Amino acid sequence: MSFMGPNERVLRATGTDLALSWRSSRHARRLLTMGLFGVFIATLARRPEFAGLAAPALLLLAAGRVQRRPPRITVRVRPSSRRGFEGELMALDVAVDIPGEGQDDCALLQNSARWTWHPGREIAPVGAAAAGGPQVRFTFTPERWGRRQLGTLDVVLRDRWRLAEGHATVALPRLDCYPAPAQQRTRVVLRRLPNRLGEHPARVSGEGIEFSGVREYVPGDRQRSINWPASTRRGRLQVNTFAAERSQDVVLLADATSDVGEPGTSALDLALRGAAAAARAYTGARDRVGVITYQWGGASWLAPGLGKRQVYRIIDSMLASDSGWARGASFRRLPRAALPPGALVVVFSPLLDQRFVETLRDMRERGFTMLVIDVLTAEPPARRRSVDRMARRIWRMEQEAIRFSLRELGVPVVHWDGVQSLDLPLAGYTRRPMAAWR
Amino acid sequence: MTRAVPRLPGDAVARCAAAGLLGAGCVTWAAVPQVHRGTAGLALFLAIFGVAAGTLRLALSAVPAPEDSYLLPAALRVWLRFLEALRLVPWEEGALLAVLWLEVLHPSRPWHTAVLGAALIAYLLATHLAESGASPGVLRPQARVLAAGAALLALGAAAGMLPAAGPGAGSALQRLAAAAARNAAAGRVLPHVARDNGS
Repeated sequence: MSFMGPNERVLRATGTDLALSWRSSRHARRLLTMGLFGVFIATLARRPEFAGLAAPALLLLAAGRVQRRPPRITVRVRPSSRRGFEGELMALDVAVDIPGEGQDDCALLQNSARWTWHPGREIAPVGAAAAGGPQVRFTFTPERWGRRQLGTLDVVLRDRWRLAEGHATVALPRLDCYPAPAQQRTRVVLRRLPNRLGEHPARVSGEGIEFSGVREYVPGDRQRSINWPASTRRGRLQVNTFAAERSQDVVLLADATSDVGEPGTSALDLALRGAAAAARAYTGARDRVGVITYQWGGASWLAPGLGKRQVYRIIDSMLASDSGWARGASFRRLPRAALPPGALVVVFSPLLDQRFVETLRDMRERGFTMLVIDVLTAEPPARRRSVDRMARRIWRMEQEAIRFSLRELGVPVVHWDGVQSLDLPLAGYTRRPMAAWR
Repeated sequence: MTRAVPRLPGDAVARCAAAGLLGAGCVTWAAVPQVHRGTAGLALFLAIFGVAAGTLRLALSAVPAPEDSYLLPAALRVWLRFLEALRLVPWEEGALLAVLWLEVLHPSRPWHTAVLGAALIAYLLATHLAESGASPGVLRPQARVLAAGAALLALGAAAGMLPAAGPGAGSALQRLAAAAARNAAAGRVLPHVARDNGS
C-alpha cells in the first residue's frame, strides 16, 4: 500500500527536458507601442512632454531586458493510470522543474507557470483545462474505448517582470481505455464438460458439493458420506452421492467487421462491452476464457486462460485488433489452442457480413456449440419513397432469414440492446445446461 | 454532455473593472475639452471602441473554446468567431494610439499630457494584471523603475512648460534632443540599478 500523495508521485515521475522559446508578452508589446508612439509624436510635433510620456514604458522595457530566462525546463507528467474504463474519472498530474537555476529565481519562475491542456479525441476534461502553478492536476474522463492520446500540454513561463513568455509544448502519453463492461451474473454452461476441475456441477458423480442422489454403500466409501436416515429406513447402509465439478472452455468471438450505429452504442461498442462482461463472468467461475476477433476473413486470437489477468489480456487483444484490417491468422486456419474442441463459443456480432455468417455455419457443422448474441441496434434510414420502403423491408427480411437459418442449424440467436443486463436475453440458456450437439 | 461555463472570480472581476475604468478615464482625459478639427472624431471613436473591446476581451477571457468545432450550430459558430476575433486583435494598442493622437490634436498642455501618461501606464498595468490573473504584488519589484519613470514624466512636462530659447524650430529640436538623451541615459543606467538591487 502506498502512502505517496499526488505531488510526491508526480515529482518521482520521469521528466521530459524541453527547450523554451522566449518571446515578448502582450504587456511588453503594449509598452513598446506606447513608448515608440510617444517618441514618434514628440519628434513629429516637437513636443518634449510626449518624450516624457514615453519614458516610463521604455524604462520598464529596458530594465526588464536583464531578467533571467532559463533556456530549458523539465516537465514531469504522470497520469493516475495508463489504463481505464469508459466514463472512469482519471487524473493527470504535471509539474515543472527548472534545472541549474538559483532557488529563488527557480521558485518564482515555476510559480508563474501557466498550463493549457488540449485534450485528445474522446477525452473529456472534467473541470478547467487551464491552470497555473508549479504543480497542477487535471481531471478527465475517457468517453469511448480505444487507444487514446491524452493530447498535448502547453506550458508558459513568465519572467520576473512578465515582459517575456517562454513557451513549450509537451506531448502527453497514451491511454488504453477499456470498454465499460455490461452486467452479466449468470453463465451458459455446456451439458458435456471436459474432465477438468472447476465450479460447474457435471452430470457424473464426483467430489463436488451439490447433492445428486443416494446409493447403496460399497466397501471403500467414506463413512462420513453415509446417509443415516436413508440407511435406517432401508435396513442397509446408504451413502450420499454428489455431482462432480468441472470447468469449461469458453471462446468469445467478436465480429469487428462492421461498425454500424451511433458512436457509443454502435455494434462494435456493444460487441466489446458484451465480450468484456462475458470474460468477467466466465473467469469468475474458474472457466478458461479466450477471444477471437474476426475482421474481414482474418482473425487475431488469444488462447483460453484462467484468472482476472486474462480479462485484461482479452480486452487488450480486442483493442489491439482495432486497426481496420486483419493482421492475425486466417480464420479458417486457427490452431486448436485458439479454438479448443468442445469449447462453448459465444459470438457477438451484428450478423451483417455474409462471410462471417458462413463461417458460423461452418463452425457449427464442425461440431462447436455456439450462442450468437446479436448486437445490431441500427436500421437503414426510414424514407417516404416506396422504393426505399421496399428496400428496407427486403433488408429486414434478409436479416430475419439469416437468423432463422442459424436457428435451424441449432445455433441460438438472442438480441441484446446494450442497455439491459446480458442476463435477460441469455435467461433461456442459463437456467439449465446447454446441449452440445454433434 | 453539458459543462458549466466558468465564471470570473470576484477579484478578477474587480481587476477587469479597474482596467475598464482606467481606460475610460484616459479617453475622457484626452478628449476633454472637445476639439472639432482634423480626425478628432475618428480618434475618439477608435479610442472608445478599443477600450470597450479590450475590456470585453478581459471579461470573456475565461470562456473556453471547444477543441472540436465541426458540425456546430450556426449561432455557436458565430459566437466562436466573435470570441476568436476579440482575442486576436490588440485592442489596447489601438486604444493607446487613438488616445495619444487625441492628445496631440489639442494645443500644447504639458501637465495634462504628464497626467495622461501616468494614467496610461496604470491602464496598461491593470490590463496586464487582469489578463494574467496575477496579484498586484508582482509589480513590487518594478516600483523603483516606475518611480524613475514618473520622475522622467515630470521632467518631460517641465521641459514642455519651459519657454523656448528662440522662436525657430531649432530651439524645439534642442529640447527634444535633451529629452531623448535623458531617456536614453536613464535606460542605460536603470538595468544595472535593477540588477544590483535584485529587483
